[in-house]
Amino acid sequence: MNNGSEHDVADETSWEQWLARHTPALLLFARQQADGETDAQDLVQEAVVASWQRHSGGVPPPLGVVYAMIRHRAIDWARRNGRRTNREAAVHLDGPECWLDAGVDERERSQLIQKALSTLPDIYREVLTLKVWGGLTFGEIAEALDIPANTAASRYRYGLQELRKATREVLA
Amino acid sequence: MNELDEQQWEAELRRLTPARPPEEFMARLRAARPEPAKPAARPLPVVRGGWDWRWLAPALGMAVVVAGLSLGLAKFTTPVAAAAGWKPDDVQVNEELVSSYEVVAQLPGGEPVRFRCRQLRDQMVVRDKVRGVEIETSSPRVEVTPVRFETY
Repeated sequence: MNNGSEHDVADETSWEQWLARHTPALLLFARQQADGETDAQDLVQEAVVASWQRHSGGVPPPLGVVYAMIRHRAIDWARRNGRRTNREAAVHLDGPECWLDAGVDERERSQLIQKALSTLPDIYREVLTLKVWGGLTFGEIAEALDIPANTAASRYRYGLQELRKATREVLA
Repeated sequence: MNELDEQQWEAELRRLTPARPPEEFMARLRAARPEPAKPAARPLPVVRGGWDWRWLAPALGMAVVVAGLSLGLAKFTTPVAAAAGWKPDDVQVNEELVSSYEVVAQLPGGEPVRFRCRQLRDQMVVRDKVRGVEIETSSPRVEVTPVRFETY
């Protein structure tokens, strides 16, 4: 008789566990796509809820799908609001939000990398973020960004190099 | 940057983790847990070979009505035939594709969705060759199938 309630509890646990595990990286990606912190949080919430609703059977949706949804909605919102004049400029270089966590001794390094990351062209920053912090494979990145997997791999390598160059002098 | 440098640099980047989201945002997300999707309406079974057995039940129903009517008339005119009853010896059910097209619409949330639409004509023929009775009906039907969500 109480199968339903047990099922609900299991669902809730899996929902909460999934959120706890993936929300930080999703929010990091959304912050890079959105015009501000509020938009970034709304993007994550809408994409997560919509992808879970569409992915029936109580199984979490593929991560690539959630990232793709965040990206598409960000583009959509920007177009709708007429704010997509220059997405490079829209990335908040000095925004109050901190993209990466680090210990006390690594805080400076983390801020430097965040700043370098925010100056990278979109196409490299997206791939780097999804690979390094999202933990996606090149196949999943390809699906999320709608590009071939080989392109994702080459953008990743180039992005790594550019980020290295941008931080080498300070971090060396 | 050689491969070793690249691996070291990757490892260095991975040491930094994405910032923890604000607690109020996490609470909002947890509360937004979507309802489990309702199971889609079970499609009626379609038998291979173009035969649509959904029409079998109404066809048989109609055959019974026709048989009953015929039986009643026969009883009035020919009692011998009434004992034998009216039996359709051939029931054919078929479908014909009239047109096929696609439509793009928007969900209430604003997401575009593509629908594949097929206009069909269902045909049914019931015959009693012995009595020379043939009843033919046809009715239009539209099948709408959501294909996929549009992506950029």
